[in-house]
Amino acid sequence: MKKSLFSDQVKKQLIPWLLPILILIIWQLLSSKGILSTKILPVPSDVVMAGVELIRSGELFQHLLISFKRAIIGFLIGGSIGLFLGLINGLFPIADRIFDTTIQMVRNIPHLAMIPLVILWFGIGEEAKVFLVAAGVLFPIYVNTLHGIRSVDQGLIEMGRVYGLRSWLLFWQVVLPGALPSILVGVRYALGIMWLTLIVAETISADSGIGYMAMNAREFMQTDVVLLSILLYALFGKIADSMAKWLERKCLNWNPNYQNL
Amino acid sequence: MESPTFGTHLQINGVEKHFGNQQVLRGIDLEVQPGEFVAIIGRSGCGKSTLLRLIAGLDEPTAGEIKANSELMKGLNPEVRIMFQDARLLPWKRVIQNVAIGMKKEDLPKAELALKQVGLIDRAKEWPHVLSGGQKQRVALARALASKPRLLLLDEPLGALDALTRIEMQRLIERLWKEQGFTALLITHDVEEAVAMADRVVLIEDGKIAMDTPIKFPRPRQRGNAAFAALVEKILRRVMGEEENTPAVYARQST
Repeated sequence: MKKSLFSDQVKKQLIPWLLPILILIIWQLLSSKGILSTKILPVPSDVVMAGVELIRSGELFQHLLISFKRAIIGFLIGGSIGLFLGLINGLFPIADRIFDTTIQMVRNIPHLAMIPLVILWFGIGEEAKVFLVAAGVLFPIYVNTLHGIRSVDQGLIEMGRVYGLRSWLLFWQVVLPGALPSILVGVRYALGIMWLTLIVAETISADSGIGYMAMNAREFMQTDVVLLSILLYALFGKIADSMAKWLERKCLNWNPNYQNL
Repeated sequence: MESPTFGTHLQINGVEKHFGNQQVLRGIDLEVQPGEFVAIIGRSGCGKSTLLRLIAGLDEPTAGEIKANSELMKGLNPEVRIMFQDARLLPWKRVIQNVAIGMKKEDLPKAELALKQVGLIDRAKEWPHVLSGGQKQRVALARALASKPRLLLLDEPLGALDALTRIEMQRLIERLWKEQGFTALLITHDVEEAVAMADRVVLIEDGKIAMDTPIKFPRPRQRGNAAFAALVEKILRRVMGEEENTPAVYARQST
């Protein structure tokens, strides 16, 4: 009985991968038979070869590193500002009155629309990419932090006050944990925006990074490298999402809704 | 057992509370002796919960004064604890951390003792959401008593429990009250509960005290007792605003 249970679990793990593998096989067959032009889509095996080649030359690693750096620095800067603004506007009505209207106005400008201006300001240097990523992740974190703080159960806050929790302790033990599920939703959403912004920014104006690698390959009709770049973005998107999920499981282990993810 | 003067001596003089044009409390005078158990009953919306919030210091009276041990109350009083209608446990803290809320680290044994007194020490490491409604209220009781309050305010804490769990909780609260000697103020809409637990039953009607009846039955009280049932019915009729002689249509069957 135990053995069949084990194989059942393996089957369960494998099922989600069946479709992608099947698509890959069909694609490989179509391309190698010449039905699908390699100018439109390269053969999967060529993509793997291109990847191996770029790893060997060290080029891939270099581009990866620079893209990662931009993503993380931008996320940290934008995320901190969003979290800070969300917290003070959620906690202090006076701050909310002063800042919220302005923030909401700025929030409704698509941050990618600022690319021409950003290039004028920063050229195509690092600051431009970091600025765009920061501007992209700021608002989802701000909005969700604010919403999280506002929706903390008032009954729990009242209880905390009666049981002797004052200002800092009340924030640390009641308000912040209560707002955390919402804040983490913001983080997860912001991670998606982070990659999107980086792809666009690197594709339009850059001299390094994965987006640049893809654009450069396009100039030389290297569809395999273009596709490799796209797949790398997909991979990082998935990794970022898994990290966010892990963070949720770790921070919200008290919440029955997050226990079986 | 604590000394008989451990509990708070509560004096409420001419307390009024207005919310805008609405006058919720219209001059309440009430004195509660140290260690006394007083039940406050009344229909919903009569102002009994408002009175409790004023005593706790969560709100301020529009007029009048509230004194604890002859001292005028200002803001939240650290001697006072409330047990709410819903348990209000922090879902992100384990049971024992919930009981120890607002306490210093070295006071953890006090929290453990309180949890032991309500019989839930073996659930100390659980998350609150796995507990039943009755267990949650027992944790809330442990939390209220862990810091040895001198005045315990009970805001219909048993209203949402099933009948058996409720009687069990009433006995537990009565026992701990006798052991620890705090002053207790119980808000309830259940007249039988009030008569079973309190030294005095106070009725609030239209923001005023309309009745103040001492309950002299010896403890532990027998609910099946005819005198007990008669008193419950008499008070119930008074709450419903009926004449003494009309049949009590609303009188509940005694258990």
